[in-house]
Amino acid sequence: MKEYDDKWEDQINALLDGELSADDADLLKAKASDDRALARAIVKAYQLQRVMDQVNVERAPHSLTKRLKAIPREHRSAPVFSLFQPRWAMALAAIPLVVIAVSLMRPDTPSASEIAQARHEMAIAFAYLDKAAAITGREIESTVGNTMANAVTGSVNKVIQSENLTSKEKEV
Amino acid sequence: MKRLLMSKFVIGLFCTLLALPAIAQEDELKNLAGYVDFGDLSATYGEPKITINLGGTMLNFVGMMSSSESPETSDLISKLKGIRVQIFSLGEDADAAKHQFGKTKSNLQSSGWEPIVQVNEDDEQVLVYMKAVDGNMEGMTVMVVDDEEAVFVNVIGQLNPTELAKVMDRFDVNVDLDLD
Repeated sequence: MKEYDDKWEDQINALLDGELSADDADLLKAKASDDRALARAIVKAYQLQRVMDQVNVERAPHSLTKRLKAIPREHRSAPVFSLFQPRWAMALAAIPLVVIAVSLMRPDTPSASEIAQARHEMAIAFAYLDKAAAITGREIESTVGNTMANAVTGSVNKVIQSENLTSKEKEV
Repeated sequence: MKRLLMSKFVIGLFCTLLALPAIAQEDELKNLAGYVDFGDLSATYGEPKITINLGGTMLNFVGMMSSSESPETSDLISKLKGIRVQIFSLGEDADAAKHQFGKTKSNLQSSGWEPIVQVNEDDEQVLVYMKAVDGNMEGMTVMVVDDEEAVFVNVIGQLNPTELAKVMDRFDVNVDLDLD
């Protein structure tokens, strides 16, 4: 029964929409002439369509439209500028990465001024080493002399553990 | 709470990334056998008046630049992997600085450094330490403290003092260490 109703309802809708073929339309009309219920259904459908055609579509008032459009904005969270929002955090974190990447992409060769500065710094370090070597050389020499001269007192607190270096320091 | 955590994360990440190059350079030298951890010298001596930190790459360039004018200098530099110098001016608390000097000396010995020369005068102390691995010199450390300043020099690599004395004439540098 249900299948029967659905079938004729589809046929009626197609008929009203003008999409029913001529053969099916003739078949539907022939059926309606024998079936009063079907005929009544077709008439009701025609009447309903006519009523629907008479309904005028009116534009909503501007105030209502405006209010409806405002609803999504009102419910959206207010945008707050903050460096600690995830997107800004990522952007901030990217800055040093870019700096490092640029510095890594720079040619490894230092400039002439940088090399000259390094040479000067190295010379300072060497100067201190040389002076320290001179001091120790002087002390070693005097220690050996004092020890030879006064081995009993043993007041010397210099410790020399490398005979090899001692001889080199004496040369200095 | 979430924003607080995010702020800490951002600040921490920012500082870490900015410090990476310096950390990397220091770590490069730290891994070498001849590296000396002088500890927190600033806590005792204050801010250094001179800090020198030369890595192997820069020394190579200096050596190459010196090769034409002085092969001896170039040869000496080629054996070095790093040079670190920290020089502190001593004020009225020179005695405390000298006391701290002893602690640094103990740290060196516990780290496998061998004392080569020690000069202990009332007004001056000089320590020369060397580190050798399998008979090869890996580094030398020289510490000098007098009434005016404390000098810490860490040479990483091989350095022959005799060769150093030969090439010093080529460097027009003089330092104020009291030799009298």
